[in-house]
Amino acid sequence: MPSLPFSPTILILAFAILIIFFLYLREYNLRKKQETEGDKFLESIKEKGWETLNQSIKKSQAIIGEAEIEGIKGTTKLEADFQKNLAGTLKASKQTITTAQNQLLLFMTDLQKRSAEFEEASKISGQERINQLFDRVENKLADFLVQTAQKTTSSIELELKAGRQLVETYKNEQLKLIDENIIAMMEQTLNIVLGKKLSLKDQLDLVYEALEKAKIEKFVV
Amino acid sequence: MDQTLAIILKDTYSLTQLKSRLRILKSSLLKTFFGGSTGSTPGESPSTSLGTSGPIFEVNILPQDLNWLKSLPENFYRQFNKDNVYKIFTELEAQIPKLPILTMYLVFEPDFMSLGQIGATVRKTFVQPTLLLDIKLNPGLIAGIALVWKGIYKDYSVKAKIEQRKEEILQGFKRFLR
Repeated sequence: MPSLPFSPTILILAFAILIIFFLYLREYNLRKKQETEGDKFLESIKEKGWETLNQSIKKSQAIIGEAEIEGIKGTTKLEADFQKNLAGTLKASKQTITTAQNQLLLFMTDLQKRSAEFEEASKISGQERINQLFDRVENKLADFLVQTAQKTTSSIELELKAGRQLVETYKNEQLKLIDENIIAMMEQTLNIVLGKKLSLKDQLDLVYEALEKAKIEKFVV
Repeated sequence: MDQTLAIILKDTYSLTQLKSRLRILKSSLLKTFFGGSTGSTPGESPSTSLGTSGPIFEVNILPQDLNWLKSLPENFYRQFNKDNVYKIFTELEAQIPKLPILTMYLVFEPDFMSLGQIGATVRKTFVQPTLLLDIKLNPGLIAGIALVWKGIYKDYSVKAKIEQRKEEILQGFKRFLR
């Protein structure tokens, strides 16, 4: 058998490499193609986006414009409404104020009336109380005068009683003093008179009499 | 000794009188026994006993005392001599505190006679022959006497009678006062 210049392994390997190279190329072409298609799709989307954006801006500007117009229109209407409402409110307020004022006036009038009535009642009540006070004062003064008179009378009676008692005490004391003095005077008089007038015989008789008495009493045993 | 004292006390009624009489009796006897130039019986020399001549009495003795000395019996004097005179008088003086003594307050000072009468009456009344009176003066009694026997005072005077009948007397006066 003839020998080949290359071994089979190398040949297989070379063949495999060749296949991988062809696969790579194919994949590369596919990816290139996909990228191109993607770019195109993206570009289209971008264009569509821009267009959409422009449309949106336009629409929004239109909306804003409309809104501004509508706002202007609404503001005017609102102002008119406000004016209308304000006028209504003012009118209602005016009516309310007028009503309140009338009520206040009525209240003031009523108050004045009540005040006058109260004043009158107070005056009457005060007069009554003053009258009662005067009556009470008169009664108390009368009672006080009666009590004072009674006290004065009893005080005078007590004073008189004390005076009488004092006089009685003084009288008794004086009488006691006189009594004592009478005895003393009598003794002194008897002493003076009998000492001089009694004779020796009389004195001796009294001595004998006393001795007899002492004997009867058994004084000397 | 009791006999001697009884003779002395016979006419002696008060304590003062007894002491006075003992003093003059003693004095006379001493003068008789131990000498003395003046006396009622001068000229006799001192002797050991009085004998029958009696004692020599002093000139300045009161008449009543002199009479009392003279009234004493002879036998009384004979018991004294110069040896026993002091002894007898000592014993007599010792007897004095033992005698019953009645203190008597009087409004007057009794003379010799009055004292004799009172003393005799007292002894007779209380049956106490040797009773002696201790006479004291109290003019405040007005009249009558007050007695003190064994420390107990009893007023029998007019003053006591007035005090006893004070209320009655006052009532009598008050009838005129009120």
